[in-house]
Amino acid sequence: MPRIFDPNDKYYIDNPGRVKAIQAEMHKRGIDVYLGSRIRTMSFVLDAFCPWRSYLIIPSEGQPAFFTFVIDALRVGDETWLDSDHVRGYGPMGGMDQVSAITDYIKDELGIKKGRLGYEDGVSTYTAEGNLSHWEYTRLRDALPDFEWVNAHDIIDGLSLIKDKGTIERFRTASLIVDEGHKAARAALENGGYRGMTETVIAGIAALAMRKAGSVSEWNFAGLNEISSGYRTGLGACTPPTTKEIKAGEPLMLDFHAMFKLALGDHSHNYLIDPATKRQRWHADNFVSIIRKVIDNYRAGTTPGKLAAMMMDFAESRGCADFILPGCEHGIGLFGDEWRIGSIVNPDLPYWTDQDHVYQENEMVVCAMQYAAPEEDIGFRYENDIVITKDGCDVMSKYPLGIEEIS
Amino acid sequence: MSELLAYLSPAWCDEAFKRLQTELTPDKMNKVSTSMSNIYKNCPGGKEMFLFIECKEGNITRVETGVGDPPKAEFLIIGDYETFSRISRAELGSQKALMTGKIKLKGNLAKALKLAAVSDRLNKVLAQIPTQYG
Repeated sequence: MPRIFDPNDKYYIDNPGRVKAIQAEMHKRGIDVYLGSRIRTMSFVLDAFCPWRSYLIIPSEGQPAFFTFVIDALRVGDETWLDSDHVRGYGPMGGMDQVSAITDYIKDELGIKKGRLGYEDGVSTYTAEGNLSHWEYTRLRDALPDFEWVNAHDIIDGLSLIKDKGTIERFRTASLIVDEGHKAARAALENGGYRGMTETVIAGIAALAMRKAGSVSEWNFAGLNEISSGYRTGLGACTPPTTKEIKAGEPLMLDFHAMFKLALGDHSHNYLIDPATKRQRWHADNFVSIIRKVIDNYRAGTTPGKLAAMMMDFAESRGCADFILPGCEHGIGLFGDEWRIGSIVNPDLPYWTDQDHVYQENEMVVCAMQYAAPEEDIGFRYENDIVITKDGCDVMSKYPLGIEEIS
Repeated sequence: MSELLAYLSPAWCDEAFKRLQTELTPDKMNKVSTSMSNIYKNCPGGKEMFLFIECKEGNITRVETGVGDPPKAEFLIIGDYETFSRISRAELGSQKALMTGKIKLKGNLAKALKLAAVSDRLNKVLAQIPTQYG
């Protein structure tokens, strides 16, 4: 979604004015800092699509600061009116988890050590993850006063970790449906078909092909089919499609999602639109080699931490470690189960993947890698559902691995 | 050099500065301008120490160690002396230490991620210094 700064644009929204109005209301209520967490708050203030769990810190004066999952921070920064210093990322690192990043910002950067903090709580009829809100918890507990309430989500998380045969077969079908989307996209792009085509249109072409093949939804909360082209491929690992046209000489990333009986097909494939430079080809070859290396090393008994370290060492040996993000997977399960790997809540970094989680047979992950060289306007993404086996892994999308140059 | 230098001592600091300047060219450092302070908690004797490194356009311009408050830096990396020692001895990867919460980062994460490979190169040079750990 491109930024609109021109007040004469018919779609212009005065977002700084909105912030001032919020701050005036905060002043009336004696609120020193406002902590927004709802999607509607992000949309209203940032004027950008914020699909990941995000937080908006509004001080009593000056620009708000936005925190989102770090893989999407550059993309949001590219689309919102906030300056880049006020678009921040949180992530699975010590001191950078959601709670630390936000509280450090309030205490250390805003210098607000105590006061009145406005937050958002309540209940809604739709939500992605669905954790009980404080409002719900408080009311439910008050209505059931003789119960001891214990957080027990780990029961479901643990039991759903190893996939049964039926679940795996659903994922296999969902992945093959995604391949139909890639075939349709490839056919639409080749022989100059890409000319004049936007990211949103190629997303729709793939969606139609996948629906015809049996998918009921593009399911992905981060933007349905995710597409990036040109400089946007270097922005990171979340790219809702825009109306940007696909152009000659640019990279193109197609990340398609299909849902079949609640199983989530997810495969990203990349192209170079001719003419490709030698440097673009070098980046592309690096990425394909890294994917092969990682896929070859999945097996029961390994861990996310070992795979990431192996991947980074391999990238360094090829001279491209500066461009690869230090992680190679995320969790996957039936609809609503995405991202965190394993079922253990690591107390040091709660609700992030445990880097020492030991893979077992018939666990599933999305092998997911992001290569980004934003200074060179190029990046790639790979995603593919895989099942861990005793001695390796079963890669579910059968679309051929590679980064083709198409014209 | 066969003599072991006490970790974070002035002699170790001088050696670190010399090696970093010699072995990390501006190209290897991606011509980056940044600064970072490692804060060492629970040092031998109970002190808190720091290692400060500054880099301008890829050139290492300052390396300082000391006790107490470090110079102001773009990134703060906080952890136990023992954890940093294990990283310096190449027994623990810095990224794994970060991603398991053994060390904590303060600063702009989006920029820090871009510097992950550069940070690894710094650590690899420091790991080559013959060091006596406390």
